[in-house]
Amino acid sequence: MFLQVVDLVKDFGGVVANNHISFDIDQGEIIGLIGPNGAGKTTLFNCIVGYHKPDSGKVIFKGKEITGFKPFMTNREGIGRTFQITKVTAGMTVLENVMVGAFCRTDQRPIAKKEALEVLGFLRLENVKDYHLNELPIASQKKVGLARALATKPELLMLDEVASGLNPKETEEMVDVLKRIHQEKKITLFLIEHVMEVVMPISQRVIVLDSGEKIAAGLPEEIVKNERVIKAYLGEKYAKGFRD
Amino acid sequence: METLRDAFDFSDFSKAERIGLGLFTIFLLVFPWLGAGSFVKAVMIQFLLFSLFGMGWNTIGGYGGQVELGKAQYVGIGAYTVALMMVWWKIPFWVSMPVGVLIAIGYSFMIGYPLFRLKGHYFAIATICTSLVLQDIFINWKLVGAAKGIELPIHDHPDFLFMQFKSDVYYFYFIMALFYAGLFYMNWFRKSKLGYQLRMIKEDEDAAESLGIDARWCKIKAYSIASAFVAVGGGFMAVYNLYIDPYSVMDLDLSIKIALMAMLGGAGSMWGPIIGAAFLIPLDRFLGSWLGGQKGLIGVDFMIYAAMIMVVSAYQPRGIWGIIEQFRRKGA
Repeated sequence: MFLQVVDLVKDFGGVVANNHISFDIDQGEIIGLIGPNGAGKTTLFNCIVGYHKPDSGKVIFKGKEITGFKPFMTNREGIGRTFQITKVTAGMTVLENVMVGAFCRTDQRPIAKKEALEVLGFLRLENVKDYHLNELPIASQKKVGLARALATKPELLMLDEVASGLNPKETEEMVDVLKRIHQEKKITLFLIEHVMEVVMPISQRVIVLDSGEKIAAGLPEEIVKNERVIKAYLGEKYAKGFRD
Repeated sequence: METLRDAFDFSDFSKAERIGLGLFTIFLLVFPWLGAGSFVKAVMIQFLLFSLFGMGWNTIGGYGGQVELGKAQYVGIGAYTVALMMVWWKIPFWVSMPVGVLIAIGYSFMIGYPLFRLKGHYFAIATICTSLVLQDIFINWKLVGAAKGIELPIHDHPDFLFMQFKSDVYYFYFIMALFYAGLFYMNWFRKSKLGYQLRMIKEDEDAAESLGIDARWCKIKAYSIASAFVAVGGGFMAVYNLYIDPYSVMDLDLSIKIALMAMLGGAGSMWGPIIGAAFLIPLDRFLGSWLGGQKGLIGVDFMIYAAMIMVVSAYQPRGIWGIIEQFRRKGA
């Protein structure tokens, strides 16, 4: 088993953000994590990666228990993540940002630079490499966040709403990028997403959270027919549209 | 090899910056022969010393973005080690200064480990506190001279081993050598892995952690580098002034000056601390001697000093160098 989450509980003193959540991810899969706002999706991510310490339960990655590891430790184990909001800063250029990610696996600046340029080329960001984050449109900012994480050479990439705030054309491009990351770099993807146009076509399986509970899991086609999911999240209209 | 090349390679700076640095170096080399008075010479030595302090502070405070206000304790550690080892055991400066630096590094790890559990203002306050505590200990510690301080014995003839010279010129060239050692180190540091990681921590600490950076450990490392820089300067202060006490080398005023100079010049940039010191040290000294001595004007120098800092930091948080870069970007 690649990533295994067993009976994970995170309780913020009254609000149970994750209530006994269990699931597995196999190597090479693309898994979508959906659910309404406040369902506990980001909390679940944070518990796996180490920003929160779970109250109980286990996280096992490649056969090794990583529950309660700090974020930098889970990253060194091979888990990369991006954030819902990329902090827009003016202190470092795009290339420097990505180099920091590459420095995770090397001490040599020339090597880090070469690898960063490779990642930027892969994501077609070479032409903005000398800009600062605050000078870029949001789609490029999101891609820089993605590039940073990719430069750390993760085996599992956890993406928190990578398509939010993008226009349809940019969304399409992002889906394409994700597909290429999966196929060419052989990275397992685990993504939180609100944009159904992103999750449904590329996910092999989908996990649905609602108020801290896992209410469904399965193939995308099954999920859109699931009564509980329709009620909690998708709504009748979307489900109908998907069936037609 | 790679390291050495990085330290001496200034090729990524603009042409203007490189010419500026060259002219500045030539100016420093010929300065003692320009016939300046002893007061001006003393100001120049102070300027180079505070540039060195500022460069050290810049590692953790500028690149790492951690507002650190306790550097005086490391000035004190460096100065006291040199002074005490000379007075007690007659150990030459060239041995006692490295020992002082090692003690400063050890002490900085000890202090840094708990301190970097804190962030932002809490960290800043805690650094002030540790510095004040150490100063209080030295004020009351009879063995090390307590509040009276220590006088270094003056040798009859110039003594290179103990850094005792009749003329200021030697001190000037010595602090200039330290200044350039610091400059080359910083030129390496800003391109090093640690330099990049610290800048990322300053930008966004959560994101930095997600990129495999142990933020706390990086900060501790940078903090001890800064402390080593400052301890070198402290050792110099002991042999230059020939007298130290807890008020002259461990005062909060000194800590704040070091941080403010770097911030005014431009924290997190190569030239910031030097520009800051070049502005504030002469201002401080000349205002102090012109205004501070006149009746009814005591304290006016501090008011002007503070007003300048307020104006610059309100206009451009990245200091004087930030203003220069802003214009350059507009022009380009």
